[in-house]
Parts: sequence; structure tokens; C-alpha cells
Amino acid sequence: MQTLDARGKSCPLPIVLTAKAVKQMSVGDDLTIFADDRAFLPDIEAWCKKTGHELRGTQSKDGYFEAIVRRRA
Amino acid sequence: MDGDAGTQAARLERLETELALLKNQLHGLGGVEGMNAALVKPAAGQEDRLSLIVFSGSLDRLIAAFVLATGAAAMGMKVSMFFTFWGTSALRRDAQVKKSLLERMFGWMLPKGVAKLPLSQMNMGGGGPMMIRYIMKKKGVASVEEMMGIAAELGVEVNICTMSMDLLGMKEPEMVEYPGLAYCGVAKFLETAAPGKITMFV
Repeated sequence: MQTLDARGKSCPLPIVLTAKAVKQMSVGDDLTIFADDRAFLPDIEAWCKKTGHELRGTQSKDGYFEAIVRRRA
Repeated sequence: MDGDAGTQAARLERLETELALLKNQLHGLGGVEGMNAALVKPAAGQEDRLSLIVFSGSLDRLIAAFVLATGAAAMGMKVSMFFTFWGTSALRRDAQVKKSLLERMFGWMLPKGVAKLPLSQMNMGGGGPMMIRYIMKKKGVASVEEMMGIAAELGVEVNICTMSMDLLGMKEPEMVEYPGLAYCGVAKFLETAAPGKITMFV
């Protein structure tokens, strides 16, 4: 399972790091991202909408958020 | 039946409009050969590009510009930045360059690069930028220098207005190194920005 820990990082880093990580993945792979930036949930949803990758799910954890993104094309 | 006719009429009208638009775009491309040869130019406002004019030379505005640029690049957009007037200061580095007296005066008066930029408000004689940088570091916000590096990695295009450089006495050897750094005028900006979806002035 590939993970990206973007906790402690603020906009635009969580999205920028996600973009970089997803580029390295194979199609169909999942990336689990941890972030505590309040903007992260709306941003990752918008990012997936724009780039066409799949947002598998998001969760609010204790003090941070978790999102799973699957690489499409 | 009436509903069907109404919907059909609406569909027909929509199709005719789209056809007219397409015809317009293909006009001038010639026959089949023309279509294959030319990449169909996207209609105005359709290219997935963000074009930014960076006119300001204050740290806060540069931060905003680079957040926009790197964010857009991370979303898969093409990004072009055009630095002009006070924005050109942000792309300076400390370098000895031959200049005339007036040019040298401008050189002293203008900040030498991102690290020396004032805030547009609450500058407090230089205290403002220091505070902002401290808080940015604490909150995990990338510094402008880091964002410039990210921009370079993500293929953000950076262009510098030569007219501004001439006015402010800046020379090419004193500008930062950036992959593909280009010098240009207003026409390049307009040509680049015209088909793009988002164009902004910072």
C-alpha cells in the first residue's frame, strides 16, 4: 500500500505531493494520503474531479484526514 | 407528441449552433489535408491553461502567485507566468553586472530576489516578511523558493518582460536560473493567454 504523509504541510503542498506521487504509480494503484490541512478534503475532491483520478474514500481521523486515491489513466 | 416536437426542435437548434461553431473553427484549415496538418486550435477560453501576470513585487503577492501556479500545475493545467515591472525583482539574484549609473541606482533600490521582498502591507521595516516566513515555516507552508523549485519540476513556464527589465535597469545575467526561462513582450503573453481558461493579474 502506497502512502503519502502530508501532515504538517499546508496548501498547496498536499495536492502538489499527491500529483507527484500519483504520476509515479501504475494505473489501478491506490495511494493513501494523510493530511491535517483543513483545505485538504475539499482540495483532494476537486483535484480528483479535475484530473480524472478516482477518490475511493475519505475519513476524518483523530487530528488528521485520510484519503484514498486510485490512479485512472 | 408536442413535447417530442419541442425537444426535437431544441435539439436541432443546438446541433445547428454547434455545427456552425465547428465550421468556423475549420474554416481556413483547408480541405482534409489542412485538417490533418493543423492542430485544431481550441476556441478562446478552452485551453486548459492558467496564465498569470505577476506585476507585483511584494512577498505576499508572490506567495499567492506561486500557490496558484503550483496548484494549477498539480491539477494538470498548463501554467505560464509572466513577470513584469515590480515582479521582475522576484527573479533577481545577487550578481555583479555592468550597468549605467541610473541602472545601478535602480538596482540598489529594488529587492534582489525573493528573499528580499517587502510585504504589501505591515512591512514594518522588514519585520513583516520575517514574521510571515516564520509562520509559514511553522505551519508547513512551502516557502516561495521551495514553490519556485516545485514550479520548475511541474513544468510551469516562466517568462520575463524585457521592457520592464530595460526600464528598471536589470540585465539577463542577474536573473535567476530557471528551466526554460524566456524573455518576451506583451504579444507573447497575449498569444499564450488568449486560448486559456484562466488568466489573472497578480
